[in-house]
Amino acid sequence: MKVIELLERRRQNWQELERLCDRLQMSGGMVALPPPETARFAALYRAACADLALSDAYQLPQNTVQYLHRLVGRAHNQLYQSRRFDIAAWSRMLLYDVPQQVFGDRCVQAMFLFFWGTFFLSAWLAYDKPTWPEYAETVIGHEQIQALEEMYKDPIDGSDRGGEENTAMAGFYIWHNAGIGLQCFAFGLLVVPGLLISAFNAIFLGAAFGYMARPDVYAQQGQNFFHFVTAHGPFELTAIVLSAGSGLRLGMAWIMPGAWSRTASLMRWGRKMMPVMMSAVIMFMIAALIEGFLSPSGAQYWLKAAVAIVSTVILVLYFGVLGFPRGGRVLAEARA
Amino acid sequence: MAQRAEQLDSIIRVITPENIAFEYRVAGPFRRLPAYLIDLVVIFVLCFAISIFLIPLLFVSPGTAMFIQLVSWFAIGWFYCGVLEAIFNGQTLGKWLLGLRTVNYDGLPINALQAIVRNLLRYADTFLVMAGLLVMAMNSRFQRLGDLVAGTIVIVEERHWLTGIAKLDDPRAIQLAAHLPPNFVISRSLAKALATYVERRRFFHPVRRREVAKHLAEPLLARFGLPLDTSYDLLLCSLYYRKFIADRGADERQFAAATQAVGPPPGYGQPPYGQQPVYGPGPGGYQPR
Repeated sequence: MKVIELLERRRQNWQELERLCDRLQMSGGMVALPPPETARFAALYRAACADLALSDAYQLPQNTVQYLHRLVGRAHNQLYQSRRFDIAAWSRMLLYDVPQQVFGDRCVQAMFLFFWGTFFLSAWLAYDKPTWPEYAETVIGHEQIQALEEMYKDPIDGSDRGGEENTAMAGFYIWHNAGIGLQCFAFGLLVVPGLLISAFNAIFLGAAFGYMARPDVYAQQGQNFFHFVTAHGPFELTAIVLSAGSGLRLGMAWIMPGAWSRTASLMRWGRKMMPVMMSAVIMFMIAALIEGFLSPSGAQYWLKAAVAIVSTVILVLYFGVLGFPRGGRVLAEARA
Repeated sequence: MAQRAEQLDSIIRVITPENIAFEYRVAGPFRRLPAYLIDLVVIFVLCFAISIFLIPLLFVSPGTAMFIQLVSWFAIGWFYCGVLEAIFNGQTLGKWLLGLRTVNYDGLPINALQAIVRNLLRYADTFLVMAGLLVMAMNSRFQRLGDLVAGTIVIVEERHWLTGIAKLDDPRAIQLAAHLPPNFVISRSLAKALATYVERRRFFHPVRRREVAKHLAEPLLARFGLPLDTSYDLLLCSLYYRKFIADRGADERQFAAATQAVGPPPGYGQPPYGQQPVYGPGPGGYQPR
């Protein structure tokens, strides 16, 4: 058969497939075709695949071959769409993969020690006024301290600020703090900026906590400060450590790739750490919700403390119990 | 096709579950930057529109207005691209307009996790402006850091028109085809070369055509025993006609028709320099739509 006859025969099919692709593409994959057309689409797609596979044997001209490549590519993208939110897969990922991955991860452990070590060191330096009188002012800065004291000078009961300002501040916390956390995670990939940001956060937060815990300050603004930060503290600080740690792990993947090439190592660790990042993002969301609605509200301190305790217990159970290496793990890894 | 993949260009091969290998063109930084800029504009416009929309609410309840505004800024700024790519099969608005799509490293669609992670890491890629560009230059698939971590690539979804068989503008090609030795078998590689030449020849000036066709036509003329001053271009067209359009039997009928149209067979000489080739509906040529 001559090529021109072959083209004439197949042309109808290809153009029909193209029209179906157009329709799917315009709707952005949101609207499904009616069943008969879906079946037709699949059949046409397979036919186009076969034509492409045999294009060399048919000796189709190069233009037509390229057209077929594009056509099959387009149809392939419409046939295999991105998966919708799959609850079973996500819960398995978040409840099994993530804790298992995090528990034994040296980078997350190192970041945990680094962050909390710096935090407590800085807090102690800021707290111990007789020995280091200048520390808190130097680190936080005079104006910042003024601003902090101004911010927490009144008790947090939701009364004086009024509901309006409260809601506005809640929005601000979500926008600002969760943003910082996500930034922390993104820059972790670049190692040096990531470490700098983590160190800065730890030092600054530690100094603020230490300063507010000083006996003279605690009597006035300090207790309001702790009243505010207690409830969302566990989730937010854990999320910062987790995202910085997984960022550091990715950074290490390209700095010390071992037997892999740098690109391959980054891709390999990226595949493993993506769920961890996602869980950090979810933690930021939870922290932001608590921070936005519970922390600035006039709820009693015992309620906020209870929330903090419950979230700490949840986190310990999550990473400690779900993450504890199980016997099946070696098997699972051997299988994978 | 097999040799295409080994070429040093931006084409990658994807093997589908149907066991077919097809090709994608990977999008480089200069295709992706405009798409990103469009998305940035969309983000700003969205944020701005939300602010405008909230103005009436500002008089009723300024706190709620501020809350909605800040939360939507946060959500749009960090998750606009990721959520759109997750929902619309790897395309944001900018990518959709410019015909780009994010796919998995092996050509399959991305999932929501990949979409969100690769867009969160955009911050690392825009670090010092250059970080992402630098990383893109260092791997063969133009992946930025976010792409590497999420295991994705961005491809061009080209529209490619079906052009079919090239039109032959000169009926003399068909006449000449009748003079070709009937037992000459056109090999596969020769057919490929002929198709490439004839599809592209309309972009060339006759002098240039002659120069290009010379390498193939000169030995063939000697082999066929045709006069050596035959137009090289015409010879390749007639071979193309023989291979792709009509077989020997049809040749005879077409030959008679073509002879009637042009008159007695002229010498197939080179067209004088500067003469425009005769354009007409090619007999048997497939008309692109």
